[in-house]
Amino acid sequence: MQSTGFEVRYADREEPIQLAMQRLWLTGQILPVGARLFVRHDFRHDEDQNLEVVYSFMLPRDAALRKFEVKGEGFEAHSELRRVEEAVREYEEGLEAGHLATLARSYRDGVVNLSLGNLRKGQDISVTLEVLAGVELTDSGLRFRFPFTIAPGYHAQARMIDTGAGGEIELPASEFGDVILPTFQRSAEGLHDVGFDLGLRVGEVSEISSPSHAVRMRKEDGAWRVSLSPAVDVPNRDLVLDVRQENAGVQILSGEKRFVLAVPSTQFGKSENGPRKVAFVVDRSGSMQGAPMAQAKRAVEACLAALAPEDQFGIIAFDDRVEPFEHRLCKPTAATRLHSAEFLSHINARGGTELAAGFAAGAKLVGEGGFVLVVTDGQVMGTEEILAQARAHNVRIFCLGIGSASQDRFLALLAEATGGVSRFVTPKERVDLAAVDLFASIAPPVAAGIELTGADFAVLPPATVHAGVPWVAFGERADPGEVTASWPGGRLTFNIPAPDPAVADAVRLLEGSRRITDLESRMTSAAEKSLEPQLVALSEEYGLASRACSLVAVVKQAGDEAGAPPLTRVVPVGMPEGTEFDSYFGAVGGALPSPPMVSAPAPDRAARAGGIVRRRAMEPTSPPRATRSLMRKAMDFMEGVIAPAPAQAPPAEDIVMEAEASLVYGDEEDRLLTLASSLEPDGGLPGTSPEDRALKTINALLLFCSEGHTPTQGVFRAHVKRMVGFLENLDGLSKDRGVIVGRVVEMVRAGDAKLAAGSGGALGWDELERMIGA
Amino acid sequence: MDKTEWTLSELAAELGLTPRTIRYYISRGLVDGPRGAGRGASYDARHLARLREIQQLQSEGRMLAEVAQRAGRSDDLPTPEAWWRYPVAEGVVIEVRADLAPWRLKHIHRVISEAAKALKQEDRDDAEHGI
Repeated sequence: MQSTGFEVRYADREEPIQLAMQRLWLTGQILPVGARLFVRHDFRHDEDQNLEVVYSFMLPRDAALRKFEVKGEGFEAHSELRRVEEAVREYEEGLEAGHLATLARSYRDGVVNLSLGNLRKGQDISVTLEVLAGVELTDSGLRFRFPFTIAPGYHAQARMIDTGAGGEIELPASEFGDVILPTFQRSAEGLHDVGFDLGLRVGEVSEISSPSHAVRMRKEDGAWRVSLSPAVDVPNRDLVLDVRQENAGVQILSGEKRFVLAVPSTQFGKSENGPRKVAFVVDRSGSMQGAPMAQAKRAVEACLAALAPEDQFGIIAFDDRVEPFEHRLCKPTAATRLHSAEFLSHINARGGTELAAGFAAGAKLVGEGGFVLVVTDGQVMGTEEILAQARAHNVRIFCLGIGSASQDRFLALLAEATGGVSRFVTPKERVDLAAVDLFASIAPPVAAGIELTGADFAVLPPATVHAGVPWVAFGERADPGEVTASWPGGRLTFNIPAPDPAVADAVRLLEGSRRITDLESRMTSAAEKSLEPQLVALSEEYGLASRACSLVAVVKQAGDEAGAPPLTRVVPVGMPEGTEFDSYFGAVGGALPSPPMVSAPAPDRAARAGGIVRRRAMEPTSPPRATRSLMRKAMDFMEGVIAPAPAQAPPAEDIVMEAEASLVYGDEEDRLLTLASSLEPDGGLPGTSPEDRALKTINALLLFCSEGHTPTQGVFRAHVKRMVGFLENLDGLSKDRGVIVGRVVEMVRAGDAKLAAGSGGALGWDELERMIGA
Repeated sequence: MDKTEWTLSELAAELGLTPRTIRYYISRGLVDGPRGAGRGASYDARHLARLREIQQLQSEGRMLAEVAQRAGRSDDLPTPEAWWRYPVAEGVVIEVRADLAPWRLKHIHRVISEAAKALKQEDRDDAEHGI
C-alpha cells in the first residue's frame, strides 16, 4: 500500500487492518441492452509470508465472467476456462509449486470468490476481470447497477457473529460449498478504494444521473463518459447510473452474425386495464428498518389509490412469519383503504426474510393469473430455491427492491421467471414513487403471441410485451436484412444493419450471460446435478464462466519456490450503506437492559461507535445542488446545444453532480403523491358536490400534466388515467360545466400543451373556461 | 496398513473439504500448519482429527470464530460459548446464546422484555402490599 500518512485500524481495537487488496477500479462500456465491463483489482501486502487473498463479490443482473488478465512486474498472463474441478486442481498445483495462481469461481446466488494465491510481500499484482452484465431497461432509458460491496443475506441455516474484527456469516457447506464471504465492517472507511470510468454507447442520451455516487461527465469522440468524482470512494454501496433517452425508439446492436433488438413497449400499442387482482407483499424483515419501511408503507397506500373499482387487492406483511391484512381479497372501497392504512401503520421491521412464504401467501390470495407486488430489500441467500417456488405459482410477480447493495440479480430473475417487472432503487431515492411507477405497469400485456421471422433464435424471445418495459430479442442471421415480429393485432419490421465492429462479439456474449444466469437460477440443490451438463455446454459454447466452469491462471515466475502454504486473507467490505450492522450481527434489543457477554470478550461498542481512526484524505466537496433540468441544461451546454455567452464560459470542461436524493425527486413529487393517495375509489378527488369534485380533480390533473404525467406516461400515469375516467363518467353537472369537463378530458388525452401551462394555481371554472377556450 | 501421512489434497479429499478451506483454517489458527513445505508438505493423524473435530463442532452450530477461541488451549478445556446475560429483575438473570440469528434474537428479546416487565410489576405489587 502506498504510504498515505494515515494508518487504517479497526475501530474497536488497536490492531491495524491489513489490506491485501488496495483498489477496485471499474471501466468498460454500457450498451443499450447490457454492459461489457473490466474490473481491475490491485493487490499488494506487507506481511512477511506469502498470502492467498480471497475477494468475494456479487454478480450484477444477467452477468457472467469471461476472462481475466493477471499483471505484475515483467509478466502478464491470461485465464483459461476450465471445469470447476480442473480449475481448482490447476490452482492448487500452482500454489503447491510456489507459483502465483488465480482462480475465479462462481457459487450460488451469483457470489464469486476471486482467489489470488502466493502473493509475495511487496509485490504489485493486478487482476482485471472481464464481466458481461445486464441492465434494467425501461421505455425511457436504462439503469446500470454494479455492486461495490455485497449485502449480507438471510438464510434459515446461516450463522452470523460479530467477532470484534467485523461481522462474519457462515453458510451451510452442503448448499454453498467452500464459498468464503467477506467480513463486514461497520464502516467502509479505510478499506480498499473503489472508482469507475465508464463509456456510454447507447444512442441519443437526454440525461445521465446517479442516485448513488457523485459523478463527472464528459464527452469523448461524441460519446458520454461517466466517472466518479472525487477520484475514489469506499466499498459500501452499488454504483447506480440512470441513463434517460427521450424518443429512444428501436435500438439494434448488430455484432458478428448476431443482433439484439430492444423495442419500446409503446411500439406494440397500449395496454387496456381489465379487472386486476393484486397482492401487495411487504417485507418487514429487520434489514428493512428505518426509511425503507416507512417508504414501503407510503408506496402501498399510493398504489391503493390507483386501483379501479373493479380491481381487488390484498396486503401481506412478512418476515419469518406471514401476516395478512385480510384472508381474502378486498374491493378498494373507502372503508377497506382506511383499514389497510391502519394495518400498514402497525407494521414494523423485525425478523428474517422468508420471501418465499410472503409471495406464496400473496399468490394464494390472488389466485391463478393474479399479480403480486413485492416490496423488499431482497437480502436473502439460497435464491434458487425461492425462484423454484415462485415459478410454481401461476402469478406475475413485480419486484420493487430497496437497498444500496445489490440483490438486483435475484429480483430481476424473480420478476423474469414469472413474467413480471423488477425495479431496484437505492434508499436515497423515493421508494414510494418507484412503487407507483411499477404499479402502473401491472396490467395485461400490451401484446401477446409474438412470432418472429427472418432470423434464428437460440432462445425464443418473450412472446408477450409489458407496458413500460422494452421487448428484447437476441437473434442470429448471417447477413443484414429484415426481421419481422407479428402478433394478433400488429406487425413490426426491423432492419438489421451490417455488423458494427465496435460491438464485435458483445452481442453473443450478452446473450450467453443471460442464458447462463437463467440456467443457474434453476439450479436448486435437487436440480444441480441434472442441469450441470447443460451449464457446462453453455459455458463452453459462449466461453463464459459459470457455476460449472471457472477461470484459472498460474504464473510461473523466476525465483518461485515451493514453501509454506500461503496465509489466507479475506478482503473485508463495508456494510451496505443504510443497512444496520446490528440488524445482522448485533444482539442488543432497544428496550432491554444492556447485557454483558459472558465467556467471551464483550465488544466495546462505545469505542467502536467512535469509529474511524483515519478520515478520508479526499472528502467530497459540496458541488452546487441542482435539479434534473439543470442537469439537462448542463448536458446541452456540453453538447453545444446552447451556446454560452463568452462571459459565462464555464471554468471546467466536465459536469460534476453530487448524488443526492433531492436531485432526483423534490417536494413537487411529495405533493403529487399526496394528491394521488387521496383519490376516491371512483378516481376523483373528494369534494362537497359533483361540481366541486370535478373542479378539484381537473386542477389536480393540470398539476400532474404540468409535471409530465399523462394517461400513458410518467410515474403517475395510472392515477391520471383514473382521474380522466372519473371525469368522463361524472353525472350531476350542469351543461356548461359538462362541456368544460369534456374539453379537458379531450385535451388530456391529446396531450395538449395548454394544460401543462395552466397549473399556476387553483383555477376556478371561469379561468378554466378561458384557458381551454371552451 | 493405515495411512499416517497425507498431502493437502489427499487430506481435503478424505474430509470432503477443499484445500483452500484447510488453508483458511490454518490461517485462522484453527489447525496447525503442515510438516515440511511445498510438495513435501504433509499432514498427519493429528491434523485429520482436528479437522474432523471442527467439522463436528460446525455441525453442532459452532462458528469458526468460536472454534478459534479453543485453539491453543488445553484439550481438557471445553469449547467456550458466547452468551448474552440479561439481568431482568433483582436476582433473576436470563442468558441467551450470542450467536443466534438476529431475527431469532429479536423474538427472544420480545419474550425477555415481557418477562422483565411482568417481574417488575410483581415487584411493584409486592412493594405495595408490604411484602
